[in-house]
Amino acid sequence: MKNERQTATSERRGPLEGIRVCDFTWIVAGPQATRIWADLGAEVIKVENESYLDAVRGAPGLHNNFNRNKLGITANLHHPKGREVVERLIACSDIVIENFSSGAFARLGFTYDRLQELREDVIYISLSGYGQTGRDKDYGTWGPTAQGISGLTAMSGLPEHPPAGWGYSYLDHTAGFYAAIAGLMALWHRRRTGEGQHVDMSQVETGMLLTGIQLLDYQVNGTCYSPTGNQSRHPAIAPHSVYPAAGEDRWVALTAESESDWQAICEVLGTQELLDDPRYRTNADRLIHQASLDEAIGAATRCFEAHDLVTTLQARGVAAGVCQTIEDRMERDPQLAARGFYPIAQHTELGEHRFEGFPIQFSRSNWQVRHGGPMVGEHTESVLTELLAFTAEEVADMRSEAAI
Amino acid sequence: MTFLPLEGLRVLETGDLGELAGKLLADAGADVLKIEPLHGARSRYVGPFVDGQPGPDRSLKFAYLNTNKRSAALDIETEAGAAIWTRLLGTADVVIDSSGVRGLSRDNSREKPGQPERVIWCSITPFGLTGPRADWRANDLVSMAHGGIVMMCGYDDHTLPPVRPEGDHSLAIAGEYAVTGVLAALWQREFDGQGQHLDVSVHEAVAGTTEGAFMNWEYLGRNPSRVTGRHAGTAEEWQLLSSDGDYLVLFGAGVPRDRKSYDGLLAWMDEYGAAGDLRDPSYERLIYVPPNQGGELRQEFARKVAEFIATRPTEEVYRRGQSIGMPWAPVRRPEENLADAHWEDRGFWVDGTVNGTDKTVRYPRAAYNFLGTPVTFRRPAPRFGEHTREVLAGDLGIENTEIESLAQQGVVAQD
Repeated sequence: MKNERQTATSERRGPLEGIRVCDFTWIVAGPQATRIWADLGAEVIKVENESYLDAVRGAPGLHNNFNRNKLGITANLHHPKGREVVERLIACSDIVIENFSSGAFARLGFTYDRLQELREDVIYISLSGYGQTGRDKDYGTWGPTAQGISGLTAMSGLPEHPPAGWGYSYLDHTAGFYAAIAGLMALWHRRRTGEGQHVDMSQVETGMLLTGIQLLDYQVNGTCYSPTGNQSRHPAIAPHSVYPAAGEDRWVALTAESESDWQAICEVLGTQELLDDPRYRTNADRLIHQASLDEAIGAATRCFEAHDLVTTLQARGVAAGVCQTIEDRMERDPQLAARGFYPIAQHTELGEHRFEGFPIQFSRSNWQVRHGGPMVGEHTESVLTELLAFTAEEVADMRSEAAI
Repeated sequence: MTFLPLEGLRVLETGDLGELAGKLLADAGADVLKIEPLHGARSRYVGPFVDGQPGPDRSLKFAYLNTNKRSAALDIETEAGAAIWTRLLGTADVVIDSSGVRGLSRDNSREKPGQPERVIWCSITPFGLTGPRADWRANDLVSMAHGGIVMMCGYDDHTLPPVRPEGDHSLAIAGEYAVTGVLAALWQREFDGQGQHLDVSVHEAVAGTTEGAFMNWEYLGRNPSRVTGRHAGTAEEWQLLSSDGDYLVLFGAGVPRDRKSYDGLLAWMDEYGAAGDLRDPSYERLIYVPPNQGGELRQEFARKVAEFIATRPTEEVYRRGQSIGMPWAPVRRPEENLADAHWEDRGFWVDGTVNGTDKTVRYPRAAYNFLGTPVTFRRPAPRFGEHTREVLAGDLGIENTEIESLAQQGVVAQD
């Protein structure tokens, strides 16, 4: 039963219990992938080097949120005994994952061939900016630059304005999601065939996958992409935009997917005169006169408190939402609260904090946030002695030699 | 013989919120059977269309999100249709259900006795199946706004509204999570033989995908505000114009973060007599401070880099920058990547067809390159009702005469 361990505990801690991951990831993209597995019960062991720690440890809250549920060990790869620690861990792991620059892990001596020597059916996921092959494989990315080249930045912006892009590293999340999927698909495949494999991932490619409709539109129709802002081109409907609400920098999104939605919007806003205006009678009319329509709606919405307006519109069956800040989401979103989306767990040094949850409720084996992210080397001792069969003396020796 | 990663897995898909999730499973080798209503899936009527002409088999959105799937048209509201659905369920490992706000799963088949114990039933709904707002309506704009992404995106100029990035990202995130959940639940089923129900909330999927926002509020009590195309909390513009009039994204506003890039950048600027007083050693300390620090010195350095970039063509800025270790990239329109040889080197494109045109087109292979089990294009998105007969006769063994009769009664529809 090499591949399918069951732990001794009677209660499953999630659907992936029994999967072990040797985790060399850092920053955000890789840790997002291993966070998913850990939330679902996999045993994720994060390996760091004391002279080269996960760079986001400088933002402890960020690190904690992305590394909860994981164990942390340190190992010095430039010391033979440190290498032995890592090699023993790889030998008993289902998945090995890293998100270093292309080729960096191999330069540390861990080629896929070497990983296979350590464990024949290993699943190895490398996640870099441009992938492990191709003429530009040595190029680097961060979220915002990967978004730039993949097309996602250009697809965010108001018409007649420069691109707006994304105000954060969306593709760090996305690359992590797809790495998590790839690992689970490869596990499924291994279960059927007994074979592991190397999955070579590029962060930019994960973004390009999300531009497929535009790629087809160009190849079939010759359409060059131009931004739509908050309007909807397919299907073409109006109103469909973001409008100001009362207060400083408050905004609401509202949309009319049908004539009854349009009527409800005008009644709620007290702009019934728009219903009789020939410029706005049908959706086709409203599309032609979108600029004046948006102006008229914006003049009305700015008199309403954002949450009140959206609640009233939703009660009338209109798809509408507040442009919620993180404060809104965490302090005044009854839906997220009711579904337990911000569970509390303990971090050894930071204490109790909320965490961002997992957006799926499982009926039988749910996700959990069991504990916060590991401190540097917090689990070195226990992992080495309990899992990797080193003696306490050997561990003490390795410490004195700076191998761990 | 190589197996695709998910070969042998049978998936039923209803509704259109889970089309990307279904595509990810289908592209990886699962047999994904789309069950459409008799008037066709709603997504068949959403553009862009081939030659701009609407039609159930002409949507390019549908073409992209339904590759490698089969389709049968079936009215499950009828008694005979429900019976067929139940039989199909008996053959399925997974159901991806987004057939309505409440979903098939809560009010319909899930509660029916005899539902196979082994099925992984994944409901995707805008706000989840429980909670005070389970019945709220949403579309991509509303989900992106209420989940918090819109407020994180837009411009430094806050008189302009926040912006929803286009591309149905709310459904992408929910679909990606759904696939992780389905595969995890399948893994558990391998050991205990039991399926389970997955309740995916699009709202939560979006709400959990705004990187540092959570940390800012939970740990620092800060509500980060939107900035143009860079990490929140950084002051300088990262998005700069080249001499071609294109935008590029310069990580950290183009300020180098190590010695190699620093020397490389100044040497490059020297070639055009542009380094000027950046040669002053006082700038060197910028190498060692994070992108949100450095004050006026950083602003000054960034301004000089911006002025220099504005004199150089896009490709030079991109390639030369990367060659000196700067993670810079042009802001490309999606279609511009079709001509970049790097993606060809990697086999990122797979040739395929699209209904309604004879053209061969390039599809993205997948977001992952499985070196052991390459994912490939097997068939274009199904025409409406294309596989109704194949499914009824082949998968369920229903006689042809009965299929004709079901079609006449309005229970099924065929291509």
